[in-house]
Amino acid sequence: MGEVIVVTSGKGGVGKTTTTANIGTGLAALGKKVVLVDTDIGLRNLDVVLGLENRIVYDIVDVTEGNCRLKQALIKDKRFDDRLFLLPAAQTKDKTAISEQQMKDLCATLKQDFDFVIIDCPAGIEQGFKNAIAGAEKSLVVTTPEVAAVRDADRIIGLLEAAELPEPQLIINRIRPAMVKQGDMMDIDDMIDILAVNLLGVVPEDEKIVVSTNKGEPAVLDQESRAGEAYRNISRRLTGEEVPLMNLEVNENLVSRLKKLFGFGK
Amino acid sequence: MPDKTFASRIEEDVKQEEQHAHPPTDDMPTILIKKTMRSGQSVRYPGHVVVLGDVNPGAEIIAGGNIVVMGFLRGVAHAGASGNEDVVVAAFRLQPTQLRIAHHITRAPDEEKDTIPDHPELARIKDGVVVIERYEPGETLKKY
Repeated sequence: MGEVIVVTSGKGGVGKTTTTANIGTGLAALGKKVVLVDTDIGLRNLDVVLGLENRIVYDIVDVTEGNCRLKQALIKDKRFDDRLFLLPAAQTKDKTAISEQQMKDLCATLKQDFDFVIIDCPAGIEQGFKNAIAGAEKSLVVTTPEVAAVRDADRIIGLLEAAELPEPQLIINRIRPAMVKQGDMMDIDDMIDILAVNLLGVVPEDEKIVVSTNKGEPAVLDQESRAGEAYRNISRRLTGEEVPLMNLEVNENLVSRLKKLFGFGK
Repeated sequence: MPDKTFASRIEEDVKQEEQHAHPPTDDMPTILIKKTMRSGQSVRYPGHVVVLGDVNPGAEIIAGGNIVVMGFLRGVAHAGASGNEDVVVAAFRLQPTQLRIAHHITRAPDEEKDTIPDHPELARIKDGVVVIERYEPGETLKKY
């Protein structure tokens, strides 16, 4: 029996889909059997980020309407033999095309065959959000160091509590250590103070993410990527391993390091 | 032809409400909220409201009586919502988005955005304006 985890945020554009793709890929790389479910019906993206867009034949609505069997709709990621699958969202329907009960049934079926069922939630708090959390047992809330994103995360945590999901875990995405140091960006403690939930991981801003999402190759597979490293750590934490938060300070380039060495730096 | 100016109508409304007899706050019931109130969550209660936790930005409390927050008050609090001016808003850390007592509406001055109090505070109405003072056990309560 696997775990059903929903990745949510409230606000759009904070990195739910990128997080889902990277954690899922990271878990598969650790040898876990993973299925990623895109519930953003009408605005699907997870397939693109995973580079599987051109393989979609059936989607989640086809499954719930009985147009195909569940196995037929699951797209296998060839990079991981039989360990990483995607259940894509429908693009031509809307959020009302599936119900909360159908989502519950679907999750219950999927978790029998997989170690992790990871649900990519749409932005917002309407039907799409309600569907996405209906079958979940655990939740990850993604936020960025912006007041608006933190406000929405807080709202979402309240709704998750109301839905009686256990306490969510927080992922802080796109942090820029240099800006935090200068006091121009909210720091981790500020966010934890308001949200009062456990921190699962901090992902630094990384230009490589833009390249990797456009190419359809999750950053976790790039050993050079700082964000990839952060997502690898988060995946390991989800398997129960204790991994310390990575040191964000080493983000300096060679020039500034040399300057510091010779006493020119701040 | 408009018979009254907007301002005079408001004044009249206020006067009318002032004439209503407010129930003595001592007799009001109290509700205890044992959790952090998050954005979008709201409590409306005719009596006093006590929160064991924080009130985050975007959350609101509307109480007929007093409001006491045993944590950070960062959201909106409205005490004496039925018009009673003889009420207080007290918090372990008083940093509300907006503070309302009866018909008075206040917010933190813009220039003092970064001054975060490091002690419990209490807001009440004194000579017709909302004042915020350090909460001192015993001392503050003697005034009531």
